[in-house]
Amino acid sequence: MRIRTLITKEFLDIARNRAALVPVVLVTVMSLVLPFGIAIVVPALTGRGLGHDADLVNVSAAAGADYDLSNDARVQLFLFQQFLMLFLLTPITGAMALAAHAIVGEKQARTLEPLLATPITTFELLAAKVFGALAPTFAISLIGLALYAGGILLFAAPGVAMAMASARTLMLILVVAPTAALVSLQSAILISSRVNDARTAQQFGVLIIIPLTGVLVAQFTGSLWLSASALGLAGLGLLVLWILLALLSVVVFERESILTRWR
Amino acid sequence: MIAATGLTRRFGSRTVVNDVTFDVGRGEILALLGPNGAGKTTTLRMLAGLIAPTSGTVAIDGVQLTRATGSALRSRIGFLTEAPGLWDRLTVRENLRIYAGLYALANADATIDRALETFELTGRGSVRTAELSKGTRQKVALARALLHEPPILLLDEPTSGLDPEVTRSVRKLLEERRQAGCAILVSTHNLDEAERLADRVAVLHERLLALDRPATLRQRLTTGRLIVRLAGDPSAYIDAARTALPDVVDIAADGTALTLRLSDPERQTPALVAALVAAGARVLEVRAEMPALEEVYLHLMGDTDRGIGEPGCAYER
Repeated sequence: MRIRTLITKEFLDIARNRAALVPVVLVTVMSLVLPFGIAIVVPALTGRGLGHDADLVNVSAAAGADYDLSNDARVQLFLFQQFLMLFLLTPITGAMALAAHAIVGEKQARTLEPLLATPITTFELLAAKVFGALAPTFAISLIGLALYAGGILLFAAPGVAMAMASARTLMLILVVAPTAALVSLQSAILISSRVNDARTAQQFGVLIIIPLTGVLVAQFTGSLWLSASALGLAGLGLLVLWILLALLSVVVFERESILTRWR
Repeated sequence: MIAATGLTRRFGSRTVVNDVTFDVGRGEILALLGPNGAGKTTTLRMLAGLIAPTSGTVAIDGVQLTRATGSALRSRIGFLTEAPGLWDRLTVRENLRIYAGLYALANADATIDRALETFELTGRGSVRTAELSKGTRQKVALARALLHEPPILLLDEPTSGLDPEVTRSVRKLLEERRQAGCAILVSTHNLDEAERLADRVAVLHERLLALDRPATLRQRLTTGRLIVRLAGDPSAYIDAARTALPDVVDIAADGTALTLRLSDPERQTPALVAALVAAGARVLEVRAEMPALEEVYLHLMGDTDRGIGEPGCAYER
C-alpha cells in the first residue's frame, strides 16, 4: 500500500517534469531508427541487399534456423534480433537519471526527512523508488516495441516477422529486459543512497552499459549466440542478482548518515 | 507519553546532546529552548526515531523506540521538520494525499478537506507548492504533520519566519491540539513563543540546563525588588517605608511607584503595606519584579557556557 502510494508520487512528479523522460524517449527513437536504417533503408538506397555480404550471412546462420528464409531475410532477422536487445535495454540507461536522483534528490530537496518520519520502511521506500523509475521507462519501451514490431511487419523481408515471433524474442522481452532493468535501476538506487551527488550515482549507474555492449559485440561478431534457454538462464541470474542488490540496498541504507552528514 | 531518558548523541568525537532526560505528558506543551546548534533538532530526530541515540532511550507510551518498533511508533507521531520539505511539483492536495496514503488513512479526501479548512488553505488545494509563500508552505507542512491526528507532535521551529497573523493561527492550533490531549514538543529559539505557548520550558545547550514552568524559571532569578504603585507622589512615603523596614536601605521613588529591595519579601511586604496605609498612602498595586524569561535564558546560557560568548549574544532572534 505504501509502496503504491509512493510510486504514485513518483509518477506525478515525472508527469510534471516530462523533460526528465526526454533522454529515454530519444534513446528509444534512436534504437528504433538505427536497425531500420541498417537493415532496410541503406540496402534500399544502395541497391545491394544484405544477403550479398558473406560475413553477415555467416554470423546470421544461427538466426531463424527453423525457417526457410532468403539470405537477405536471414540477415535482417539477425539484425532485428540483435537490435531488439539493444532496443529493450538502452532506454534503461536513460532511466538511470531518474533512479540516480531518487534518494539524493529527495535529500537535496529536503523532502526526505518528513518522508522518513512516516511509518514507511526502508524496503518500501527503495522498492517504490525502483518501480517508480522502471514503470515509465518500461511503458516507453513497450510503445517502442509496438512500433518496432509494426515496422518489421511492414518493411522487413517476407518471413522475418514470423521468425521474430520466437521463444527467444519472448525471453528477451518478458524476462531479460525487465530483470536487467531492475538490476541496473537497483544499482543506481543503491549508489544514490550512498553518495551525496546525483551525478556520481548516475555515472556509476551507466556502467551497466559495459557488459551489455560486450554481449552485443560478441553476438554481432558471431562469437556468441544466446539461445532462448541461455536468455532464460541469464534472466534467472539477473533476477537473483536483483534480489541480492535489493537486500543489500536495505542493509546499506543509513537514514542517519543521509540526514546528518549529507549537505 | 514521551519519555527521553539519558539521551546522548555523539557525531564522531563531538557530543551534540549529552545526557538529556525529560518527559512530555498528555495535554502538555514542552518548549525545547536553545541557541542554534544546541542539539534541539538532533533531540527531535532521536524522538522521532530518525536517528538513534548513542546512549539513552526514548519511550512512546511506554514502548521503547527501537529499529523494530520504529515504524509502528512513527505512525503515532506528527513531525514537523525544520524545512517544510514539500514536493514542489505536486499540488498542496497531492502532497497531503501522498502522506494520507503513507499513513493509510481511511477517507483520505475528507481528512484532507478538513485539514485544508483548518489551515485556511481550502482555495489553495490545486496550487503547486512551489508557487506558495513561505508562510503558506509552513502551513501545508503543519497540515501534513497533523493529517493523521497523531497523539504526539514534534515540531521543529513551527513559527520560524512566519508573519504574526500566521504565527497566531499556529499557536491557536497548538492550543487546540493540547486541549485535545496531544503531547507536544516544540523546538524554538523564540523566547516569547516559549513563554506564551509552553506549559514547561526545557533549556538545552548540549545538556539540559533547566526544565520547569516559565514562571518557576523566572522566579529563580527573582531580583527581590518590590514595586509599590501609589496614588500621588511616592516620595512622600519614603520615610514611612524606612520606619517600617529599618534594615532596608535601597528605597527609591520612581514616577508613581516606590521600589524597594527586600531580603525577605514574604515577611516584609505585609508590614510595609500596613505602614504605608497607616501613613495615608493609597496603594494601587504591589508586585514583585520578575525577570523576563529572556533574562533567565541568557543567565543560564551565560552561567553555563561562556564559550558561546557574552550572555547577550547567546541566542538569535
